[in-house]
Amino acid sequence: MSASVLHTEVAVSDEKQAAAKSAGRRFGALVVRLGAIAAFAAIMAYFVIFAPGFTSTFNLINVVEQSAILGVLAYGMTSVIIGGGSDVTEGGIDLSIAANMGLCAAVYATLLSMGYGDFLSVLAAIAVGMAVGALNALAVVGLGILPLLATLAVLNVAAGMELTLTQNTVVGASSPLLGVLVSGSFLGISALAWALIVFSAIMIVVVHRTSFGLRLYAVGGHPEAARAAGISVPFYVSFTYVLSGFCAAVASILTVSRLSASTPGSGELLLSVLAAALLGTVFSRRFVPTMGGTLLSVLFIGLLANGFQLLNVSSYWVNGVQGALILLVVAITSFARGSEGSR
Amino acid sequence: MTDSMKGLVKALALGLATACSLAAISGATAEELSLKGKRIGVSAIGTDHYWDLMAFRGIQDRVKELGGEVIALDAGRKDQQQIAQLQTLIAQKPDAIIEQLGNLEVLNPWLQKIRDAGIPLFTVDTATPHAINNTTSNNYNIGAEIALQMVADMGGKGNVLVFNGFYSVPVCKIRYDQLKYVLTSFPDVKIVEPELRDVIPNTVQSAYSNVTDMLTKSPEKGSIGAVWACWDVPQIGATQAVEAAGRNEVKTYGIDGSPEVIKMVTDPKSSAGAVAAQQPYEIGKTSVDNAAKYLAGQKVPPFTFVPSVLINKENAAEKGKPFLDAAEKAGVK
Repeated sequence: MSASVLHTEVAVSDEKQAAAKSAGRRFGALVVRLGAIAAFAAIMAYFVIFAPGFTSTFNLINVVEQSAILGVLAYGMTSVIIGGGSDVTEGGIDLSIAANMGLCAAVYATLLSMGYGDFLSVLAAIAVGMAVGALNALAVVGLGILPLLATLAVLNVAAGMELTLTQNTVVGASSPLLGVLVSGSFLGISALAWALIVFSAIMIVVVHRTSFGLRLYAVGGHPEAARAAGISVPFYVSFTYVLSGFCAAVASILTVSRLSASTPGSGELLLSVLAAALLGTVFSRRFVPTMGGTLLSVLFIGLLANGFQLLNVSSYWVNGVQGALILLVVAITSFARGSEGSR
Repeated sequence: MTDSMKGLVKALALGLATACSLAAISGATAEELSLKGKRIGVSAIGTDHYWDLMAFRGIQDRVKELGGEVIALDAGRKDQQQIAQLQTLIAQKPDAIIEQLGNLEVLNPWLQKIRDAGIPLFTVDTATPHAINNTTSNNYNIGAEIALQMVADMGGKGNVLVFNGFYSVPVCKIRYDQLKYVLTSFPDVKIVEPELRDVIPNTVQSAYSNVTDMLTKSPEKGSIGAVWACWDVPQIGATQAVEAAGRNEVKTYGIDGSPEVIKMVTDPKSSAGAVAAQQPYEIGKTSVDNAAKYLAGQKVPPFTFVPSVLINKENAAEKGKPFLDAAEKAGVK
């Protein structure tokens, strides 16, 4: 028996072992994933049975309305994670998204209060949001800084600019557009709920039903393969950060309409946005973020707070449960990634 | 026992009986209040500050005492969350809602929706036209008293550092306006421009660095006479900054009466000049009594003032003690 044959035999048995191990892990991941979905379903079933008024149309529309801002932000975060890869430490992430929304809201409310109309103020808010996104893209793609660090730095830039602009005060705002968003409704569904429905539809179609979306997944999942296939990886990654900035700007207009003002403290939303984008991955068989999965988890987070309140359970529990779920999902995804890695 | 002594005892007994029956009468009216079978929604913007926590507890304890059910909601200082909680609360149709503090600009449209839904609204420390009753301290008095104490301690002249980050909070507006009004009579007391901005969170740290910067900017002793804030958490940071800089001629003034600040004022070496101490727990309880009266068909005034006490260097040992005892009883340091 020559050394090379022995080597091959060893390699084959290693491969077999690895394959068995990976199959085992994949099976384990499947079980945990289904377990997570079952837990979600069980919580919902509990609310349906025991929380008074939970299933009333009025209450459900309320929850959709309450989820609109978080949803739009979570779509931005999801697109960045899709394009940058879902590795939590080195993959795509936009920590600046909530602070960016705060800055856009401050710009929008300040311009409105200075007497500029909706058209100009909305345009300015969107321009600022996309500019912050472009700054992220420059830092991540142009300078090659780790997204976690690059967007953390931009978070501080955006938060600082918001403070400079508003001096940490509440800036009241009213305009025809805000009036429509606050009190408008169509087919019994309020304008804010419509905003989430329409925005969701657009995002789902663009990311899951176009070749553009397919290439975006390729860039995030296998950048080398995407590059070999002639896809411009830097363009797609940059695009996701600018899109995330755009989402922040759209969310800022919804937020000003809901609060009748721009208020300090938007950065607080970051954890919920991350939670929504990460939780969404359990709804995908391959543990990748999807727009549909993000929508489900945004609604789940909304329903969780709502159900607890209807059951008269302390709101302090919501944060704890949310944190536990994030931990669970991150555990599942690293479990699944382990199986991919050893394959 | 002589006749005259018998008479005296009789008179005393009669007096005692009258007093008892009087007490019984007032006790009876208090007992008549009941929230049996009623659900009361309580929404607070946050409970991270002593005042907020005590008022929030006062409301909940009193509702339970009166036999009602509480739906208690703490928004954790997040406007979005408070609005979502209020929206769901309206759908829950409680018998009354008690709202405690927050940004009026953000809240007012939603308080209007509460009334539109036919739910009686009561507020704690939040003046809004939508509330049936607002229970609070007399902030006009508090604002003037603390301003006058400051002017007196300054000898009627000098420069004041003013924290004015929360003019959009109604009680802060009143206290600040009262300060300005008092200062119109003392033209030698000047507010340093630009004013400082207190923030939430990191209130103490931020106030510390703000005041330190201003003291560095005006290094001569006596160039700054006092620091004023519309609540007492910035006062903690300001006092620490003044003491760290060795500028003991500067005294600090604030409002609310957090135990930590009352202890500072009580300490003769501390730079904390005075604090107007409120009774947040009592304020919370009183707002529930107002709601209960209203639900029982009684008339309720548009506002109720719960007394507050000005605690300064001279009276701190005596007047501060009951407040510190109450805080200790509540388990809050």
